[in-house]
Formats: sequence, C-alpha cells, structure tokens
Amino acid sequence: MKRSELLARILIGAGTLLAIGTPLFVWTRTPLIHARMAENGGWNPDVIQAEVGKPLHLSLTSDDVVHGFAIGQMDMDAVDVEPGKVTDVTLTFDKPGIYTFYCTRWCGPNHWRMRGTIEVSGSSPAPEPVTTIPLYATLDIDIDAPHEAPVAPGVLPTAIRGQQLAASLPISQFTNPDFYHANSPYQLFEALDSTGLSDTEKWDVVSYIWQSNTTPAALANGRELYSQNCAACHGENGAGDGVFADDLARAGEASMQTMNGAADMSMQLPVDFTDAQRMLGASSALLQGKILRGGMGTGMPMWGSIFTEEEISDLIAYLYSFQFEYAVP
Amino acid sequence: MAKVELTSNPFIKRTLKSRWPQLAVFIVMLAGYLFAIVAGLVGTPVGSRNFSIVFVWIAWWAILILVAVPFFGRGWCAVCPIPLPGEWLQRGAVLTPPDKKPKWLNRRWPKAFRNIWLQNISFLLLALFSSVLLTTPSITGIVLAAMFFAAIGLSAVFERRAFCRYLCPVGGFIGLYSQTAPIELRIKDKQVCAACEGKPCYNGSIDGYGCPWDVFPGGLTKNSYCGLCMECLRTCPHDNIAVNVRPFSADLAKPSARMDEAFKAFIMLGSAMIYAGVLLGPWSALKDAAYNVGTNAWFIYVALFLAIIFVVMPALFALCVARFEKFTLFKKRFATLSTALIPLGLMFWVAFSLSFVLTNASYILASLSDPLGLGWNLFGTANAIWQPMLTSILAPGQSLALVGGLIWSARTAQKAANEAQTLSIPVIVYCFIATVVMLWLLV
Amino acid sequence: MRSRFSLLLLVMAGLVVAFAPLPVQPIAHQERTFRVEAHQFAYSPSELKVNPGDRVTIRLVSMDVVHGLYIDGYGISVEADPGQTATITFVADKPGSFRFRCNVTCGAMHPFMIGKFTVGTNNWLYRSMGFVLLAVVGITAQIKQKS
Repeated sequence: MKRSELLARILIGAGTLLAIGTPLFVWTRTPLIHARMAENGGWNPDVIQAEVGKPLHLSLTSDDVVHGFAIGQMDMDAVDVEPGKVTDVTLTFDKPGIYTFYCTRWCGPNHWRMRGTIEVSGSSPAPEPVTTIPLYATLDIDIDAPHEAPVAPGVLPTAIRGQQLAASLPISQFTNPDFYHANSPYQLFEALDSTGLSDTEKWDVVSYIWQSNTTPAALANGRELYSQNCAACHGENGAGDGVFADDLARAGEASMQTMNGAADMSMQLPVDFTDAQRMLGASSALLQGKILRGGMGTGMPMWGSIFTEEEISDLIAYLYSFQFEYAVP
Repeated sequence: MAKVELTSNPFIKRTLKSRWPQLAVFIVMLAGYLFAIVAGLVGTPVGSRNFSIVFVWIAWWAILILVAVPFFGRGWCAVCPIPLPGEWLQRGAVLTPPDKKPKWLNRRWPKAFRNIWLQNISFLLLALFSSVLLTTPSITGIVLAAMFFAAIGLSAVFERRAFCRYLCPVGGFIGLYSQTAPIELRIKDKQVCAACEGKPCYNGSIDGYGCPWDVFPGGLTKNSYCGLCMECLRTCPHDNIAVNVRPFSADLAKPSARMDEAFKAFIMLGSAMIYAGVLLGPWSALKDAAYNVGTNAWFIYVALFLAIIFVVMPALFALCVARFEKFTLFKKRFATLSTALIPLGLMFWVAFSLSFVLTNASYILASLSDPLGLGWNLFGTANAIWQPMLTSILAPGQSLALVGGLIWSARTAQKAANEAQTLSIPVIVYCFIATVVMLWLLV
Repeated sequence: MRSRFSLLLLVMAGLVVAFAPLPVQPIAHQERTFRVEAHQFAYSPSELKVNPGDRVTIRLVSMDVVHGLYIDGYGISVEADPGQTATITFVADKPGSFRFRCNVTCGAMHPFMIGKFTVGTNNWLYRSMGFVLLAVVGITAQIKQKS
C-alpha cells in the first residue's frame, strides 16, 4: 500500500475514533441525577447513599422541563435544575437518617410526587432526636371528619376592631398558643358567648386573638410558601381554583374509588380556603395534620418530610388570613 | 452575463483536483456526523441543548438552505460524509485506487427506480414525522445512523453512490433546487468528448473513479444530478471539464419535463407552507396533531398533508395549464411549467428557515461548549442565554425572499411557457396566490 | 419608449406601495390587560391585538410547567410558574406584527410555542402583498405587450 494511502487511512481512523470515543468516554464518567416530570419517571436515581460528615457532590440535570432541588427540613437554598443544563450541589450531613429531596418548581400536576431519599449512614455525636407525635394524634382529632362551623360571619372580621374590644375582656385563657392549637375559631366564637358581644364583634375578637398567634414575618413566609407550594392547586386567592384543580376533579371522576361510591377519599377539587364555615371550623392542629399527612388519595400531598414545624405553622397562619382581615403594621 | 471558468485559475484547479484538501474536509464532516449520532443517542434528551439537534437542524440546515443550495447547488453533496465509508469499501481505498476492479457486488441500479420517486417518498417519511424528528435528539441520532448504514449497505450491493443518487431524502430537493445555483460543472468542448476513447470520466482510470453519481459528464446540461465530487476533473485525460460561475437559474432556461421532478416541486412547495402554518403559527391544535404520532389527530394531519401536496396543489396547477389535448402532451406541459415552482419553493424554504434559524441560532454558541448537555464548558459559552437574533430584519428578509421568489418564478414560468408554447399567466397567478398565503403565514 | 414609460410607472407604483403613509385613525391610548394561559405547547389566547400607544399588561398564567413569554421586536419577557401568575406591563410603541414565544424550555415542542402580537395594522404584510401584486401586474403587462 502506498504511504499516502496509509496516512490517509490513519487520519480517518483517528478522526472517527475521536469523534465516537471521546463523547462516549466522558459520558460514562459523568454520573448525573436526571430529573423528569413524575409522569416520566421522576428522579433517576431516586435513592442516594451518603455518609455523615462526608461532602456529597451531586450533579443534577433535567430531561424535560424546569425542575428544582431541595432537601426537606434542611436549611439549604433550593437550586433550579434546568433542561439540558447541569447544576452542581454539595451537601454535608451531620446526622444519619433518611432525608427527602424534592422538586421545587411546579412541573405538572404530579410535581409533588417528585421525591427521592438520601440515606445517610454513620454515627453522630449528637443524641438521637425524639420523634414527635403530631398534635392532632395527641388530641385525638379525626382530620378526615367534616368540620364545618354551623355559622359564619356575615362580613370579614377585622382584627383591629377585635383588639379594641378585647382590651376590656377577660380573655387570658384564650390567648395562649395551646388554645389556638387545639381549638377552631368557631369554638372560640362559642366560648365568647359569655361576653355579651354581638356576633360580628365576637368574630372580630376571634380574628384579633388568631392574629396574635402569629407575626407579620411569619405571615409573609406563609404567603411565600403558599404561592410556591399550594397555589397551583388551591388557587392564588385560596379559592380552590388553581390551575390543576380541573385535572384533579377529572381524575377523581374517573377513579375507581369514585366509581365504587367512595368519593370522599378519591381525587377531588382542592379545598377552598375562602369557604368560611369550613375554615372557621378547623383548629390549627387539624390543619397541621392535613398538611403533615396529606390527603390519602385525594391528591393533597403529604408535607411531613418536607416542611419544618415552623414552616407549617407559618403556612397555617397564612391560611387563616383568608378568613380574617389582619392589621397591617 | 457570461460564464466565468473557475478552473482556469491554476490554484483552484489544483485544489479541486488534489485529493488531500477534499479528504481533510471529509474527515471533519465525518467526525462531526458521527459525533452528532453519539450526542443524539447518549446526550441530553433536551433538543435545544444537544449537539445533534442544534448542529443538524439549526446550523447545518441554515447553511444548507441559505448558502449552500442557492449559491453552490449540490455543494453540500460535495462534502457530505454519508457515502464515504461505503465508497471507500467499494473502492478498497480512500485515495487513488491500486487497481480499477470494483469490490463487492457492483450491480446496476434497477431501471424502474432510476428516478427520484424514492427520494420523494423518503423525504415525505421524514417530513411527516418532522415535529418529533426536529425536537428529539435520539430520533435524529437514529435517523442519521440509519442513513449512514443504508448508504453502506447500498454500496455493498450496487455500483457507485446509489444512496446519494436514488434514496437520500435531502438529495432529492438539493438536486432540484441546484438548477437555480450560479455554479456548474460542465465540459468545455463537445467535440473533444465525441472523439474520446473509453470515456474514463464515466468508466474510471488509473487517475480516479468513474462518476459516482452515475452521470456521463460529457452529457451534463443541468446541475440536478452532478454531486460536484470532482472525480471527472481527475480522470478526464483531455482537460475538458470545467467548473464555471454562471447566471442564477441558467438551468431553468431548458426546463425538464419529468413528472418525478414536478412532484418534488409540489412536495417542497407544499411542505414549506404546511410547516409555516403548523410549526410557526399560533394554532395549538395543529402542533398537537403533528407531534402526537399515532393518535387519530396525527393520522388526519398526515392525510391532509398528503392530500395537499399530491392532490390539491397539483390539481389547481393542472387547471392553470389544462387544455383539450392528449394526456401525454398535457403531462409534458404540466411537468415543464412546474419548473416555475422551483425558485418559488427555494425562496419559500429560505423565508421559513430564516425565522427559526434567527430565533434559535444562539443555541449554537451554547452547544459548542456543552454538546451533550453533560455540564461541559469547552469554550466558556455553555451558559449563553437564548436570544433571538436580528429580529428587526426578519420580516423584511422574509418579504424580500418571498417577493423575489415570486418575480423569479414568474420569469421562469415565462421561459417554460415559451418552451411549451403556452401562456404563462395562469401559472404566474398560481404562484402569486401561493406567495400571498406564505406572506400571511410568516409575516 | 413605451416600455420605458411602463417601467417608470412600475417603479413609481412600487415606491407608493413601499412608502405611502397609510391612513391612521387617531385612537385614544387605552389600558389593555390580557390574561394569557400558557400550556405545553401553545398560548391561549394565542393572538393579541392592541392599538399603537396602548399600555399593555400581560398576565401570564402557566397551566402545567414553567413557561415564559418573550415578544420579538420588543425584546421583553416574563416567566411564570404554575400557581404564580407573572405580570408584565409595557407601552406598545412599535407598530406591526410580532411573534411572542416561550423562552423557558418547557418540553419537546418548546421552540414552536408561538403566538402573534399585533399592534395597529400589520403594515409590513400589506405592503409586501402590494409589492407582490404589483410584480404580477407588471410582468403580466409586459407579457401582453410582447405578444
């Protein structure tokens, strides 16, 4: 064979090998965590191993739409996981256990199902945290039972008026947090019967006492949490008319549970937080229970592994603000 | 404007005759092509961040339809890597052959398929699935690989570049539109060819191979089937082959009267209009129908697509050229006058492509740095943001292309009508209506 | 002589088509608000029409995944997550027809998620059609002249 032919063949072979080999080689050495809409598989892999104290480097990419990544109950800023781009995250765990990671940008009606776990092994010097029993369980509240208040205020109760009225009332037993947790606004309304105030005035006092259980900062945090996590189903104005409400209702109509007559625990329209009787009949322990445990098939996600206790309480405070006119400081 | 012979310049002639510059280009193209296949198959499934989608459907397509075809005719075919492995294996060499004996079966392409109907069909096969093809890297990777292996397989059975000449979906329209280009490869003197013994331009010699495109260079009058591979430049012992610059669409002055080419013109004209409506329009039902392959809506979309290009458009055109006469005469006139649709179709595709190329060209920068979407940043441009380019000249550019295309096709219609001894005005009106529709869809 | 004259006529007609100011009805500037739903892969409504000088507010409501809305020619954009309506307000000072597109990758057909935003009349389109008509008339006249 002529030398030129040999040279040409070598060049062609080298070019071909480089073109095919380089990308394949690098691809096999790039472990990525792929994010996909839940309908298309969710996180892959969805179980990650880690060790206490050892930094965990994760490279995340999305295969379809914009997703996000955060770890439940951990103090970290959520990062966006963009289609075709890689986001690098380094995490260090100081306690062993199972951590939940989840998607933080809405990616379809099943966005909340996009979760995975990080199993952190090893020992930690800190003592094992005590598992707390949720308050609704301690108080033995059936969070699935209907909790409509028999009456609702005719106008939106105002906390400022309530504050003025409450100044001259013996209401100390109602202003402690335990009361707020265990009782619904309606129960407080009933308990105020002895004060001789009109219905509207009593509701005003209720709204004032409810507001005193939270702060403007907490309400602002609750509003942000609501708009990022709840508004897509429950509506930006709390009316249960979010963009996915119709999907949920349709899924409910088509589900086996509904067909078997068990409509109340099948997929359904999200709760309307502007429904006065429903909200005013709910204690914050009940609301906390709903948020922690989820809807058991109704389409309401369980947030127990995602939100901290403080975040849930901020959220609940915000939910009540759909029913009361809180004073703006 | 007269012809200017490029090959009279010794530097140009040397470069075109030498196999090394061509080989260098081949190696780059082949590497890019194989890289695109791998990127499509293992890279990110997100089209805008995958080399295969960005470099095939944005970069390569833009260069093809805006530069290569209008200015260089079959210029892309001259550098395309698809036939190369098959051809090298056929020849048993990558440069000059040690002997002239062809390897493998070397059969003649069957007579019944010696036309561009198979190319019409292969183009349509891609066109009907285009929404999925243009947006899904793995599908693009598979299609590129399929064409690659089909070319190798055909080279093992048939002589010359059978895939390129008779099957390639892109080659069908490149060939048709190459007639408008200002570049051509022709012989210099007919008498020299008449006296030539052995015709090595077609049969090969120690200097090179017989025309891979199954064309007799001595008889070339149009660009349609010459792939500008320069093989005949190497084999002609009488230095009778030239590459010339000539006026645009000189080939259309002698219109061909082939039905396969006529229908190719309708396929291209129709699909440009359908794509303008479906892909670039604001109507979601059409996009859903085009994308959701296998659904009832998609079947309806396919049926309408085929009806428009095979029935509606040709039928309306037939009305424009109909006369009471023998069917064979009518067919000839129909095919001759349909050459007016060639420059029109080219400009329709230019106008359509300008839109999505200018809108999405910024993806090219990012894709250069991170071709597989694995998080690389080779040139620092991986995070270049998407930004439509030159949107202020988009509408003017499209209008210019479409108005220019209409004037060009009207002129072509006149010449074709002269050939066919008929009136060109109905055909011009047809082109006018199509242009108005395309303007409304795009601008 | 005759062909020179008709050529001159053609050129003048062309200039008229290209540059003649079209009658503009003075319409008072309004505040216009549009609620645009975005879903994979289209907007609803997908065609918006306003008058030049209107103050336009677009409220983008994403119905399934994160979408964006970018207006060609104006170069402004907004992005919305489902559950978080995003708003953009601007003055429609550039007349003509502009496409608006999604600028957040939202799935396969994202590059073809397109809508049409028209400010006033789409003069460019009408002028182009005028040109095309003029071209056909000119060429037809020329053919008739020859025969």
